[in-house]
Amino acid sequence: MPETLQEETTLQINKSVVRLIKDDVTDIEVDAFVYYAQHDLQLGSGFGGAIAVRGGPSVQNELDESGPLKTGEAVVSEAGNLKAGLIIHAVGPRFQEEDIEGKLRTTMENTLKLAEEKGVTRLAFPAMGAGYYGILPGVSAKVMLDVITSHLEGETCLSEVIICVFDSPQFDAFQSTMATQ
Amino acid sequence: MSQKKERSQKAEKVIERMGQKLNRQIVGSLTACVHCGMCTESCHYVLANPGDPTYAPAYKADKIRKLFKRHYDWTGRVIPWWVKADSVWTEEDLEELKDTVFGKCTNCRRCTLNCPMGVDYATFNRMARGLLVSVGVQPEGVAVVSKDQWELGNQMGVLKEDYLDTLEWMEEELQDELEDPSVAIPVDKSDCTVMYAINPREVKYDPRSIADAAKIFHAAGESWTMPSEGWDQTNFGLFSGDDALGGSVARRLYEKVIELNASRLVISECGHGYRSTRCEGPNWAAFDIPFEMESSVLTMLRYIREGRIKVDKSRNTQLVTFHDSCNNARSCGLFEEPRELLNLVCENFQEMYPNRAENYCCTGGGGAMSMSEYTPNRLKSGVVKADQLKETGAEVVVTSCHNCVDGLSDVIRHYELGIEVTQLVNLVANALVIEEKIVVPVEEVVPVEEVVPVEEVVPVEEVVPVEEVVPVEEVPVEVAVEEVPVEVAGGEVPEVVSADAMSLAGRVIVVADDEPDQVEFLATVLEDHGATIYRAATGDEALELARREKPDLLTLDLHMPGRDVGEVFEMLREDPELEELKVCVITGRPELRKLIYDRSVRPPEGYLDKPVDEERLLLNVRKILELAD
Repeated sequence: MPETLQEETTLQINKSVVRLIKDDVTDIEVDAFVYYAQHDLQLGSGFGGAIAVRGGPSVQNELDESGPLKTGEAVVSEAGNLKAGLIIHAVGPRFQEEDIEGKLRTTMENTLKLAEEKGVTRLAFPAMGAGYYGILPGVSAKVMLDVITSHLEGETCLSEVIICVFDSPQFDAFQSTMATQ
Repeated sequence: MSQKKERSQKAEKVIERMGQKLNRQIVGSLTACVHCGMCTESCHYVLANPGDPTYAPAYKADKIRKLFKRHYDWTGRVIPWWVKADSVWTEEDLEELKDTVFGKCTNCRRCTLNCPMGVDYATFNRMARGLLVSVGVQPEGVAVVSKDQWELGNQMGVLKEDYLDTLEWMEEELQDELEDPSVAIPVDKSDCTVMYAINPREVKYDPRSIADAAKIFHAAGESWTMPSEGWDQTNFGLFSGDDALGGSVARRLYEKVIELNASRLVISECGHGYRSTRCEGPNWAAFDIPFEMESSVLTMLRYIREGRIKVDKSRNTQLVTFHDSCNNARSCGLFEEPRELLNLVCENFQEMYPNRAENYCCTGGGGAMSMSEYTPNRLKSGVVKADQLKETGAEVVVTSCHNCVDGLSDVIRHYELGIEVTQLVNLVANALVIEEKIVVPVEEVVPVEEVVPVEEVVPVEEVVPVEEVVPVEEVPVEVAVEEVPVEVAGGEVPEVVSADAMSLAGRVIVVADDEPDQVEFLATVLEDHGATIYRAATGDEALELARREKPDLLTLDLHMPGRDVGEVFEMLREDPELEELKVCVITGRPELRKLIYDRSVRPPEGYLDKPVDEERLLLNVRKILELAD
């Protein structure tokens, strides 16, 4: 369980649970967490900076051998010295581009598929595309929970999916969307 | 005119979203301009570029105004040629607009103040910035800072553990300085009167200002705390025009005050932090504020007025002048309080002209220094500030804003003015007269029987315990002050902290700098404290020495001949044999920080602006090497 968990809400889907928390997604103990990556897979600032500092140079070194990725694609790397085991770098839509919902859906599906391939049982997502990339928290919540729910209703090795947000507006958006699931 | 032109998705979104941003204030400003030219003379960019009309506020405003006219105003539909209505079509159009709204204006609002029609150009310039940011058209530096603040909660990407570690470090420094182990920098303490929020620059580049504030709170006997999260009072949303970021950042602060049940939020000295937290944030966050908010300038002034702290102005004897931050002064009316405080803690204050609401921008613009591509223009416009500063004859310029500290330092360095920059918190802390306290070390108390007969002495456990600090009036009556050896702390508290006590024996340090004087200074100070020093004058030499000598620390100048220092830094970081190497950037060119901090490798462990004094150098080296242990 995340050490700094402040508030949470959960959703049971078959044998899996979806948990909403407010925390730093790069600093929790999970099998893997998702980083909303750039096309060139440069870690950059924000969570990318946290990964580079806490995880060490090996993460970027590994990424330098992959990419560039197109929108919707994802790739896995080791997580260096981070608490997580793996990082799934997923390139989602950004900044008011066309068909945000469709592209986000594809990104989510590819990410979950990759998590299954790697045998991940505890997976953490940020609020995909919300915040810096400008996707409205309500849109992010709707698409993410739709995809996660339908995925967990099928065959899966995921026992827990954590949605790890960083502010109240995001938390409120996901909480209210979860209430309607 | 442009019937069949294809408009890009981003341009389409900019126009569409403009309609959502228009309010009475913005529409009023977009329609009221009569192009009288009054704004022209008030803009420091124009004054520094007299032959270039593209810097005139009215000209810059027209770049935005034409969109409004074309898409949202009836005049643009009826007589577009008359009102110069026009649109944006391509990404190149947006890039051009970006260079105007980010690169040719600091949003200082001096033109607003001087407009007879009340046109608030800075407000709709900020709107335009926000529209561009929303479609991802923004300077690289703006993108980096925005992402850091969105995702990590502060503008400089400071990680929580580093923030908390810095607070602990400053607490220890303060305890050493005051010889008082009870001095604390409390974190997440509930039910305090004050929650103190700071600028991340204080953690990263100026931790001494945190210690100075803590010293003042301690001396005032304040019930205070710092938050573990929601501690960044700055808000890049004010600069970038991103209202959603503005709301998110402000909300994190407000929610933390409520969670800790503090009754007052005190904002450390920062112009855009004060404006965004106290004035704009409640609107961005749609938040009803159930607590008080004030600048630390008012807090310090109140402490003196109420007699909660005592200051001795004879400790600050240099000739000082004051620079009004645009956000503090022009936008928030904080004019007289800093001057009153300054006169209480300094002997020689010389006013700068013009001042208060008419003062000129430092060029920092509450975030402009993040955009290195505009640095030459920014520094050119700084000639106005440089002339103002020179005219005062001051040795020190004081300001209540961290952005202004960086902006002024940059201008002073560029124009070789040799003026020191500081803040009120530093001057107040320096002038502080700490209440006398008595320390009664046990080893000096025993043997008790030598002082007074045993039967007259209270049991040993009632005598002051080891190193406990006790106010004079609380010393047990049985211990006669004149009979017990006592050590009086305070009064003449040395300004220099205990860095001198540090030994660097056994440490290997590479000093890399192309200025021989600077190398000699750094090397001498570090050698005097026991370190073994190797000197490098280029990036390649630094690289070679680092690989050969495997030093504990490398001090790195950012501007040296030969190989790009950013590249050198990245090579050092990527060398598996140098994983333990600590790096401290020491630079006179803060705009070059981008060379290092934008790289996706572990950032340097330390950073110092030149000129560096011995105390700061040793404090930082000590901090870095303690981390290494």
